[in-house]
Amino acid sequence: MSSIRVTALTKYFGDHAAVSDVSFFLPEGKTIALLGPSGCGKTTILRCLAGLKTPDEGSIELDGAPVFDAERDIDLPPEQRDLGIVFQSYAVWPHMTVEENVAFPLKVRGVKRAERRRRASEMLELVGLGGFEKRSATLVSGGQQQRIALARALVHEPRLVLFDEALSNLDTRLRQQMRMELRQLQERLRFTAIYVTHDQEEAFGLADDVILMNDGAIQAMGPARTLFHAPPSAFAARFFGMNVLEARITAPTAAGSVRTKAALSPDLSIEGRGTAITHFREGEAVLACIRKEAVRISRAPHPEDVTGIVAAASFLGSEEEYIVDIAGVRLNAIGPALGLAKGDPVRVEMSPEEWIFVK
Amino acid sequence: MGGVKRDRTRHYLPLAAVAVGVILIAGPFLATAIRSVTIRTATGDVHGLDNFTNVFGDPRVLTAIGDTLIAGTCTTILSVFLGFSLAFLVARTDMPGRRWLETANLVPFFLSPYVGAISWIWLLAPHGGLFPSLARTWFGVTMTWPNIYSVPGVIFVLTLFYTPYIYLFVMPPLREMDAAFEDAARVHGASFGYTIRHITLPLVLPALLSGALIVFVTSAGLFDVPLALGAPKGILFMPTEIYGMVQYPADLGKASAFGIVVLGVTILLTVLQRRMLANRRFDTITGKGYRPRLILLRRGPKIAAIALETFYVGGGVVLPLMALVMVSFSKLWVGRFLWRNATLDNFTYILTKYDLTRTAIGNSLILAVTGATIGVCLAIPQGYYLTRGNPKRRALAETLLSLPLGIPGIILGLGFLIMALRTPLYNTLGIILIAYIARFLPFASRNVTAMFQAISPDLEHSARASGASWGQTMRQIMLPLLRPSLVASWLMLFVIFIRELGATILLYDQGTETISVAMVVLAERSSGYVAALAVVQLLLLVAAFALFQLTNAATTRRPV
Repeated sequence: MSSIRVTALTKYFGDHAAVSDVSFFLPEGKTIALLGPSGCGKTTILRCLAGLKTPDEGSIELDGAPVFDAERDIDLPPEQRDLGIVFQSYAVWPHMTVEENVAFPLKVRGVKRAERRRRASEMLELVGLGGFEKRSATLVSGGQQQRIALARALVHEPRLVLFDEALSNLDTRLRQQMRMELRQLQERLRFTAIYVTHDQEEAFGLADDVILMNDGAIQAMGPARTLFHAPPSAFAARFFGMNVLEARITAPTAAGSVRTKAALSPDLSIEGRGTAITHFREGEAVLACIRKEAVRISRAPHPEDVTGIVAAASFLGSEEEYIVDIAGVRLNAIGPALGLAKGDPVRVEMSPEEWIFVK
Repeated sequence: MGGVKRDRTRHYLPLAAVAVGVILIAGPFLATAIRSVTIRTATGDVHGLDNFTNVFGDPRVLTAIGDTLIAGTCTTILSVFLGFSLAFLVARTDMPGRRWLETANLVPFFLSPYVGAISWIWLLAPHGGLFPSLARTWFGVTMTWPNIYSVPGVIFVLTLFYTPYIYLFVMPPLREMDAAFEDAARVHGASFGYTIRHITLPLVLPALLSGALIVFVTSAGLFDVPLALGAPKGILFMPTEIYGMVQYPADLGKASAFGIVVLGVTILLTVLQRRMLANRRFDTITGKGYRPRLILLRRGPKIAAIALETFYVGGGVVLPLMALVMVSFSKLWVGRFLWRNATLDNFTYILTKYDLTRTAIGNSLILAVTGATIGVCLAIPQGYYLTRGNPKRRALAETLLSLPLGIPGIILGLGFLIMALRTPLYNTLGIILIAYIARFLPFASRNVTAMFQAISPDLEHSARASGASWGQTMRQIMLPLLRPSLVASWLMLFVIFIRELGATILLYDQGTETISVAMVVLAERSSGYVAALAVVQLLLLVAAFALFQLTNAATTRRPV
């Protein structure tokens, strides 16, 4: 296992920069997720790391040694980078048995047959497929193919394991289960891994750090919790499913505080915070963001408690999603299923801690 | 229920079309089978196996079988190599001109193998061949050129014409294969060559083997090339041998015995081929993945690729066509085109003066236009049945309907000859037409079936739910959606019928000759006439394609 350093990576498709100036460092044994909508360039980065695509600029170092460097004209072919990869389609070879699939990386490295079988069996045991060795690879389920692909990517103890939307073809329950297992496996074997995904749960659940991407560029980077609770940009806030509304600052940031006030409409003012480094001027246009879960709704037994009206309700099971109208401003809210209907008057509470202003 | 009555056409029309297809193949099969065990004697017919002992005790027949097996096997091996290489180069590498070559590699598929074979005679024959003559006059080189009138000569020309089959079979899996299969191998440590050998090849192997079987069956049964290159020098092949048995003094019993055995083997191999294809479907290797990257060829491989393409497109298309045109404009073919020898007489003769060729051109056009039209009309209900009919009987129907694909034209012609002998159809264009449709309908019906498969049944169901009858749904929803494949199928049948020879050669008579038959008849008289006729045939094919392009451009539709 080893560390990876990506510096100023850029890849053009025609005139369009699919990846522009991407840099990050991943220490040994750590994991990072490249998160973003489809077409944001995350898969292109992964392919560049694997050697399946050639970047136009920048460099990639594994353990301090370059595997790609545009200036020095270094570009190792995929087979010389010593990696493992799990594809979205699993790419389990249909003409081989489960064991042949898993042992493939060892075979091409000239490992002896007996040793190959031992290590493949061990790895299959580890991913919960002990005893599947002789099965035809096409006769197993999607979840099992996923495990075969995982075993194949780890069996040769590669320097870095790449996951390309590895869980997105599984159904919801299986995906949750695999996510947990994968996390445990990573903590046990301590492999360095990069996960590419469009699914925030997958990114948060699997990786120590998250790189949020859009349009080929890094939007935000940091530990999952920090990014989620204090999204540094409107794009990040929207991507995490927050309410994002236009607002105008009504009071300047007080000295020594990050708290400030803003108006969402002439009739609705809120209190919230910026990040530690941002300062707002009075009258400045900002975006106010709040998570749906932080918009708390309750029944209003007394007319004086009413602060909003339900505009739409959608039952989700253990929770219910609402659109509430507060003085003409509409917000999405997720909360306990109260059985409210359109037109019901409600009380809406929003903590100043939960409103985040971004420029 | 009232609904049952209303849907009567929906049930019976497709079934009827399938029945027609089955009869078209069962008829000649039974006729040949019965005739093979019938022995004509002065006192009447008796039944027995004498015909079989006659055939397989004949050393000529055994030699013919041997030569045919050798030619078929070698053609298959060479076509597999050539077809796979060309498909790989076009689909997966950055070979220069690959977009253009993608089509060029298919051109031999549309040309007449008979014309191809005689063109190669004009190119290579020791006396009067273009190569020997140019080598002698330009370079003063007198050398022994490969003898085109030989088993290797037959294999060479067959390979040129059957390579596109393999090419067509392996192109889809090569192109649509999930690239992750190969990429996973590379990332996990396999080199490029190792990946091709251990991942790519095994994955396209079902398609390759399936194509190989088709090539073996059809190339071994092709009449055109052995007639042109084997018969003149007495080299025996199965199709020409059967042809010989039907010539005066005809021995239909012996021919039938030979034919029914070939038919049995052919059907066996065709069924085997279908099994192979059905067991290992391509969908296991295509799907949610992404398309493969192009391989950037380095200098050496690039030169090799261009050389291979030059050999193939040159040998299969450019050189034969060049020879053809030169011969057709020459008074007397002396191995070179000389301006003092140039003439239009060949064309004026076959187009205005000679009744045989004028009738033949007319007949070929009539057969091609009616045949293609009837074929497409049958293919539509057949395709409907094969995709939307009774799921249990569908598989059997598909197997039965695809059988003619491998049956040699000459053997099907024999079957129809026996059937028609004492009927008014004997010696008419009608029987030729029926034989054409019987032999080549599967091409159209496969094409249309594939299109039916691509159209979601929901489109039909929502039309029905909106109140349209089945007939209205067909006319207003399905036919417009099927249109591209109908046009393509019609064109394909037209092309095949214009150049057909094997099925015609036993069925024609004075007045029902086709272009290909006229070429065979004229071959003894003047190569200039043959070449001119071949050029006319070629122009008809080109005209059909031009028409196709025009209608295509006029009504470009969005894909379904």
